[in-house]
Amino acid sequence: MEKLLAALLAGIVTLCLQAPPAEAQQPMISTEAWQAYKTKFLDPGGRIIDDGNGNISHSEGQGYGLLLSVLAGSPADFELIWTFTRTELVLRNDGLAAWKWSPGAKPHVTDVNNATDGDILIAYALGLAGQQWGRRDYTAAGAAIASAILAKTVVEEGGRTLLLPGAMGFSAGDRRDGPVINPSYWVFEAFPVLDQLAPSPAWGKLRSDGIAFVDELRFGPKQLPADWISLKPDPRPASGFPAEYGYNALRIPLYLVRGAVTDRQLLSRFRQSTSGASGAITIVDLSSGATRSNLTDPGYRIVNHILACVVDKTALPADVKQFTPTLYYPSTLHLLGLSFVAEKHPECL
Amino acid sequence: MKPSIIALSAIIAAVGIVGMKKPDYVRNMVQSFSPVGENGSALPLGQPQLQPSLRAAEEKPPIFQEIKRPSQPPLDTVVTAATASEVDESALRYFASQGDAARLQAEISRLKALYPDWTPPKDPLAIPPNEDKQLETMWQLYSQARYAEVRKAIAERQAADPAWQPPADLLERLSVAEARLRLINASDLKQYETVVRIGAQTTSLLTCSEVDVLWRVAEALFRTGKSQRATDAYTYILSNCQNPAERLATIQKAADLLPSKTVEELLTKEKTAPDGKPEFDSIRDELARRFIAEANADGKIIVPPQYVSRVERLAETGGLASDALLLGWYHLPRGDMEAAEKWFRRARDKEDSASASQGLALTLIDRNMPLEAENVLYRWRDASKEAKAVYLAATTNLLAVDPPIPITAEVLKRIATEVIKSRDAATAQQFGWYARALNQPQTAVQWFKTALGWKLDDEPSAYGLAITYLQLNDMKGVSEIQHLWAGRSERIAKLGEEEKEPETVRKRLPHAEETVTTQNGARPAARIDAVSKEPRGYARPETAARPRQRRSAVTVRGCRTTINPQTLSPDAALARGWCLMELNRPVEAAAAFEVGLLGASAKTREDAAYGQSLAYLRSGLASKAAVAAVKAPQNRQRALELQTAILADKAVAAFDAGRPRETLLALDQLKQITPERTDLMALRGYAYLKLKRYGDARRVFEALAAIGNTDGQRGVAIIHEMFHGND
Repeated sequence: MEKLLAALLAGIVTLCLQAPPAEAQQPMISTEAWQAYKTKFLDPGGRIIDDGNGNISHSEGQGYGLLLSVLAGSPADFELIWTFTRTELVLRNDGLAAWKWSPGAKPHVTDVNNATDGDILIAYALGLAGQQWGRRDYTAAGAAIASAILAKTVVEEGGRTLLLPGAMGFSAGDRRDGPVINPSYWVFEAFPVLDQLAPSPAWGKLRSDGIAFVDELRFGPKQLPADWISLKPDPRPASGFPAEYGYNALRIPLYLVRGAVTDRQLLSRFRQSTSGASGAITIVDLSSGATRSNLTDPGYRIVNHILACVVDKTALPADVKQFTPTLYYPSTLHLLGLSFVAEKHPECL
Repeated sequence: MKPSIIALSAIIAAVGIVGMKKPDYVRNMVQSFSPVGENGSALPLGQPQLQPSLRAAEEKPPIFQEIKRPSQPPLDTVVTAATASEVDESALRYFASQGDAARLQAEISRLKALYPDWTPPKDPLAIPPNEDKQLETMWQLYSQARYAEVRKAIAERQAADPAWQPPADLLERLSVAEARLRLINASDLKQYETVVRIGAQTTSLLTCSEVDVLWRVAEALFRTGKSQRATDAYTYILSNCQNPAERLATIQKAADLLPSKTVEELLTKEKTAPDGKPEFDSIRDELARRFIAEANADGKIIVPPQYVSRVERLAETGGLASDALLLGWYHLPRGDMEAAEKWFRRARDKEDSASASQGLALTLIDRNMPLEAENVLYRWRDASKEAKAVYLAATTNLLAVDPPIPITAEVLKRIATEVIKSRDAATAQQFGWYARALNQPQTAVQWFKTALGWKLDDEPSAYGLAITYLQLNDMKGVSEIQHLWAGRSERIAKLGEEEKEPETVRKRLPHAEETVTTQNGARPAARIDAVSKEPRGYARPETAARPRQRRSAVTVRGCRTTINPQTLSPDAALARGWCLMELNRPVEAAAAFEVGLLGASAKTREDAAYGQSLAYLRSGLASKAAVAAVKAPQNRQRALELQTAILADKAVAAFDAGRPRETLLALDQLKQITPERTDLMALRGYAYLKLKRYGDARRVFEALAAIGNTDGQRGVAIIHEMFHGND
């Protein structure tokens, strides 16, 4: 066991060479920013509140909260958020997390299905925290979730390795136009850590096929991916969802750069196709290419500024460098973006 | 104590998620329900199981009340510094500082079980509070069930002071409390595998003080297919836990899931309450009702007589119609018609309902009183599909009574209205025989035609029609029927040749036929003139489920009881099959014929295969009929007859299903073996029409119209209109 753990730790160390854990004491999120985030979105009982969504909580939010705790170097907050997550969401027979928790409902979980990106974020954060703070219980819990992700949501289809957005309701067996995927559920930075937790060649394939999907599945005049894509018979925006580059998809470029994808052409294309007036990020109607809305929250705008930084070394504007919490989702993206720039491109700050 | 511990250990061991240390587990078990105190030590392992529980029941505090309503066991021992230093008393101190006597007492019991040498403080409420304010806060959060915040506080303190270790007691309690919370959450979300997994990992939760957890684990075991282990869990509670309300609830919960036989076994754990009554007395009435209701749904279940008499007592004294109804429906499928009738009548007297009237009608039909049955059920005929089926069974039987009984015009009219509304071929046919018996042959002709319209293969109606034509001297009518039924009915073919009917065919004849044909004398009775128009179209005859037991009460009494045909000899099964066919119970008949197929003689096998094919045909299962037909070689005549019927059925079914091409295919096949009947020719015409083959349709309809067939005339008219419309 000791040996196994040592090997595991060594593996993570190798993988995280760019950010060696020894240096992890240097938090990538400032104390002030994290404090501001917590005050606004972290309930004292350990749940992350999605205040743009009726104050519900979900596995994605818990996963983000855990990841941000690691990035902020706060084991106590991690423990708090994880305890809530473990007792309230990680209850499914298959070991995955129920995705939706409503404060007013009884029982609180109002949909016991999982959301695979939430599971990935939780397992990933557990893997990082287990390694960083020497907590075997975190590593074991992360490994169990990673195995369940493999067993329930990773499938081979047409020679490609896919991530089903949920264990139920998206596969070829569950939908006539299935499988249906959500490219923004590919949290690229997580796969190497998940591979350490639950070793499988599938993680590597998920990464490469995921990058290929993001590159190939382009629709309409703006040539952008849809939030939800049906792969059958031919890839197209999935029915039952708005055919748009929307709130889901807009984080794809952020996940790409955080996942160390450096393809300038790909990144530039995203930047060009999603830039709205005065630096806004656009929600795009795919069939017409028209802009449905311009998102001006710095948490959204940072996505394109990071692309500009990575591609052209352009510095972030002052109001984006500054973190002031607004709503849960953009503020979360904002901190993820800032921590990436702080770690990889301090020259842009 | 051993048996239960072993039983519950077996539950856990069988679940087998974690290996556990038995001593700890047993200690937890013991600790959970034993009033540890007087002698200051936990019960030794080998002590007989029931002892602590009995003692607790006789004396005061039953275990789980230990938490809710603490007693004051003597605490006259002295704290010794040596033991106290080893024992973590921070929880004790916290509860004392809060004045929480219940938790304090539980903690003392717990510590004594863990540390037999430890002696509790003299005045527990006077224990000085924890010096450690942070720890105090942690206990406070713990006692408020804010476990995540306890975890956070521990992590914060450890970050600030890496040398600090949280009390093991706190950690253990925290993890048990979290496990409990997860188990309850998972159970609320029906994630039963998770529930079983957590239960197996946290055996300290499986105690009488956590009876809700035990219930949830028991249910999860049941829902994950481990019903024996679920039973073991309920047994464990009843063997070990003392709280009367919880014991009662345990039986109720078990009865929700487990079959009555198992619940009966659990009830043997019943004890006598302090007031001298058996402790489960208050729910036995409800259980008895539940057992009877369960048995009503499944005639094979045998309910212990004490429960039947309990419900009888309830029905007699309580005055609930529902209790009487339960009993009626309990006795009916078990063949005790007298009792069934009594209880249905009582239910009806209290409160008339569809169910009571339906049950009473069935018993009346069985008693050969269909007139009364019709009268009882008429009001409720539309209450449900079943009520309607019973009503039509009553009317069929009523009209088939031998000798015919006088029926008022009003009743006849309302029956006729219902029959037409329901397109019930069986009663329509009986109307035909009834009309003949009353010497109203014209009316009989109408009814037989009506029956045939609803059920193309209704040979008795065809026969009835033919003999009525014969009576009316309508030889053209007779020969048309004979042509249509050529190869399919020997007795129709032989009509007019001689008076006597061959013995072999008689077996299949409907019961009413013999009676009514001999009743040619005119009898004064109401006119039956309710049939206003002929039914049209090719609707399949309804195969509405008939009440299985009492389809007919008239001539044949040989197969009314429900018998598993497997228990009969092939010859007896064969006879039963024909008998069931006469009662129009083709599904059961098919099963009986299946046994007949095992017969030693080729004749028996052939008859059985033939019978089964007819039975399937009557049930509307043409494809099964085709299979049955080849189960034994048939003579040419019968083979032809069957094949014809099967193909005709197929053609009609395909047309009904909107597949005219298949209809034509079947009709073409049919044409190869037998001349096409006029009704099937008309069907062909309509099939052409659907396929827009107007030329072909016109040709067929014109040919039919030329022999005076109304379908043909109608078809010609339709086509004419279509082309006029288009011109």
